[in-house]
Formats: sequence, C-alpha cells, structure tokens
Amino acid sequence: MIFSTNPWVWIAAILTLCIFSFLYKENAFYRFAEHLFVGVSAGYGVAIYWNNAIVPNLYVPVFHQHNYWFIIPGLIGMMFFFRFSAKTGWLILIPLAVLLGTGSGVYLAPTFQADVLKQMQSAIADATNLELGGWGLVWGLVAFVGVLTTLSYFFFSREQKGALKISANIGIWFIMIGFGASFGNTVMARVSLLIGRVQFLLTDWIHIIK
Amino acid sequence: MKILENLTKINRRYIFLLVALAVIFPLVIPMKLPTIPGKYTVKLYDFIDQIPPQSQPVLIAADYSPSMMPELQPMLEAVIRHCFAKKIRVMILTLDPNGAALSEAALKKIAPEHGAQNGKDYVFLGFKPGNALVIMSIGENFRQAFPTDFYGVPLDSLPMMAGVRNYADVPLVVSIAGSAVTQSWINFAHTRYHANVGAGCTAVSTADYYPFLQAEQLVGLLNGMKGASEYEYLNQKNGYSSAVQLATKGMNAVSIVHLLLMLFIILGNIGYLVTRHNQSKK
Repeated sequence: MIFSTNPWVWIAAILTLCIFSFLYKENAFYRFAEHLFVGVSAGYGVAIYWNNAIVPNLYVPVFHQHNYWFIIPGLIGMMFFFRFSAKTGWLILIPLAVLLGTGSGVYLAPTFQADVLKQMQSAIADATNLELGGWGLVWGLVAFVGVLTTLSYFFFSREQKGALKISANIGIWFIMIGFGASFGNTVMARVSLLIGRVQFLLTDWIHIIK
Repeated sequence: MKILENLTKINRRYIFLLVALAVIFPLVIPMKLPTIPGKYTVKLYDFIDQIPPQSQPVLIAADYSPSMMPELQPMLEAVIRHCFAKKIRVMILTLDPNGAALSEAALKKIAPEHGAQNGKDYVFLGFKPGNALVIMSIGENFRQAFPTDFYGVPLDSLPMMAGVRNYADVPLVVSIAGSAVTQSWINFAHTRYHANVGAGCTAVSTADYYPFLQAEQLVGLLNGMKGASEYEYLNQKNGYSSAVQLATKGMNAVSIVHLLLMLFIILGNIGYLVTRHNQSKK
C-alpha cells in the first residue's frame, strides 16, 4: 500500500471518508464535509454563471457593443431580487410571468410533438406493423395494451367498475413492472456511485489497484 | 423461525459493511465476468462506426457534474476514444456548469493517445447556460451560441469548423447527461431540427428514455455504468482501445453487489412473511 503524495488527492480522500462516516451515524466530520460542499458549490455556481451568462449576455452587449436594449431583460431579471423585501415581493410576479410565458411558448409544441404525438404514433405503428413479425409484433402489441390499460387506470371521470376496472387492474401491473425496472436501474446507479468513490480511494489514494 | 423473524431486524450497519466488502473485493481481486453488449449500445456504436473518417463532426454534449462521474465519465471517454480511433472529428459542449472541467479532462487525456489536435480533430466549446435555448440556437448556427471555443478562439478560424453550420452538418448528437437535458436534445435537436440523437444516461433515468428508442427518436442508448462497460468492450474487441477499462472493472463489483442485494431482498421478504404469519396466528 503506497499512499498518494498529492495533497489534493488527500483532501478528496479525507472528505470522501467524512461523508461515508454518516453510514455509521451523524457526526461532526460528515457535517463539516456537507457544509463545505454546499458552500463550494454555491461559490463555484455564482462564478461560472457570472462569467458564462451575465458577462457575455448582458455586460458585453451593453458596455462594449452599446446594445442598450439588453438592459430591459437585465432589469426584468433583476426584479427577482424583490422577493427579499416583504413590501415589494409581489413584483417578482413580473419576471415570473415573462419566464413562464416564454418557457411555455418554447417548450409546448416540441414537447407535445415528441412526448405525445410521436409516442402515440409509435405505439400504434408497432402494434399493427406485420412486417415486424414474430416477437417484434408480440412486443409491439404488449406495449400497445400497456399504453391503453395504463391510461385507463388514470381515467377518473367514471367510476372504475366493469370493463374499466379490469383494464385499470391490468394497467396497475404494467405500472408496477415499470416501477420495478426503474428501481432496479436506480440500485445499479447508486451502487455505481459507490464504486466510483471506492475506485478513487483504492486507485488514486492508496494505489492498491491500477 | 426466530432466526427468520430476526431477518427484518438486522442492524443496517452490517448490511453497509457487506456491501462495502462486495464492492472492494471484485476491484482488488480481478474477475473476468463476461460483458455482453446490449442491443441499444450496439446500435449507437454501429451508428458512430459508420461515420466516414475526417468528415463531418460528431457533437457530444457532456451535460453532467462530478456526482455522476462514475457512470458517465467512462461513457464519454469510450465514445471519444472510438471517434478518435476512427478519425472521426468531435465537438464537445456542455450545458452543465460543472461539465466543462470534466469533458476537458477527458479530451486532454485521450487526444494525446490518438494524436488528435485541437481545432483540427476536435473542438471544445465549453459551457453555455440556457439548455433548450442553446440547443435551438445551434439549430440556426453554432456560432450564435458559441462565437468562440472554450479558449476564446473564434470558431471560423478553426479548420475543423469550415462548413459546419448547424445540425444539418452534424451526423450525430450524443447527449451524455445526468439530468433531463437529454429530453431537450430529443425535443429540440431531433424533433425540431431533425438531428440524429444518441444518448448516454445514468441508470436512474434509463427507464425514462426507452420509449424514445422504440419510437426511433434516439438512435441508441448507453445505460449507466453497464452501457459504458459495453462500449469499452466493443472498443477493445475492435482494436480501437487498449486503455484501462474503468467501467468494466466497476461492473464486476456491480454484479456482485446486485447478487448480494437480491439475497437481502429475498431474506427480508421471507422475514416479513414469517413475522406477518406469526402475528396473524396470535
């Protein structure tokens, strides 16, 4: 076992161990690492956004290129700071309205097209495309039935009884299988994060593995 | 029966300890568990593989932060290695404020391995805030969103960027992301500008993207560390890389931990059922 001589590796390793110490119980080392992370992240975020958003999109256009129109969105953006005052807090409704309005306009059409229309088209096409043949057609039909029955589970305008209840119950099975797949993947993701840290400790810090 | 009942009362610290051991042992003692590339990894790999060398560049969006590094950094490195080995040009950008340092580190590590030169074989565009707005802006012209590269060099002065205007000049966009930003690449780059989009995501969000594969809105998908290890395997199998396979090593540990967790789930459920049975008898 040969320890790293790089002080940055030592700092990272010690902070990793501080965070892992929470697995035993909450303690001062964990708290220290947690607060340090929050502080560093906030500071880093401010510096990055200042240099990559404010300077090129507001400072340079106004002060170097003399495009004074940019002052208007700048002022609207700064109105978010009114939330810190109880008296003038209502003024943040103005930038919020601008944000929601433009956001909805930008996102609505492509999202509806990509998430709804294209998905519906694909569900129908795969269930009726005889060229897929064999298992391809079977899985297409399964997906089609899954879409319909899951949608029926979320149909609340009528009491769920009779055919609607049967369909909704089948839908629950599809939903549960979906949750199972998500949970399985989530476990893999969390384990991967642990492995990443352990790989760092064993490779970069104590050089046990290459 | 008492033992089975006690299964639900095991101190969680013992479980943490067993998981730690299950992670450490496969990393320290090399194992050679087989890697079988999945259908959607192969699809993305094949799509990149058929891009002609020294032609239009692949655009890689490395939209993730250090907390997702174990899953996504090997993925990014594997895709870059594949491109450089095939002499495919690469453009890298990030929509995550923390992504610039990570993707630059990957480029600096891999470019010398393949003799790739900045401006000629790759361009690093760096970070730009604005997610969907940046993606749409690229649809008009790369230079709108990124007048210069990360180092302040105007894009027009880079030889690689001659004739590269927007998505029409890019055969593939690969979104490697740890957030829902891949959805924006699908919604805007693919749906609006008809770009081919491939994705690499954390395993947590993989299930969300399967519908887009079925609808052919994605050309392929890399699923977390598993997807990265499959890509590393394909690179090595085809002689494109002999580098250390970080994700493949990690997958050995993932497999062992999964077996352990399956055992815990089975034992926990047995314990729960026995406890419930005993309570109903009382």
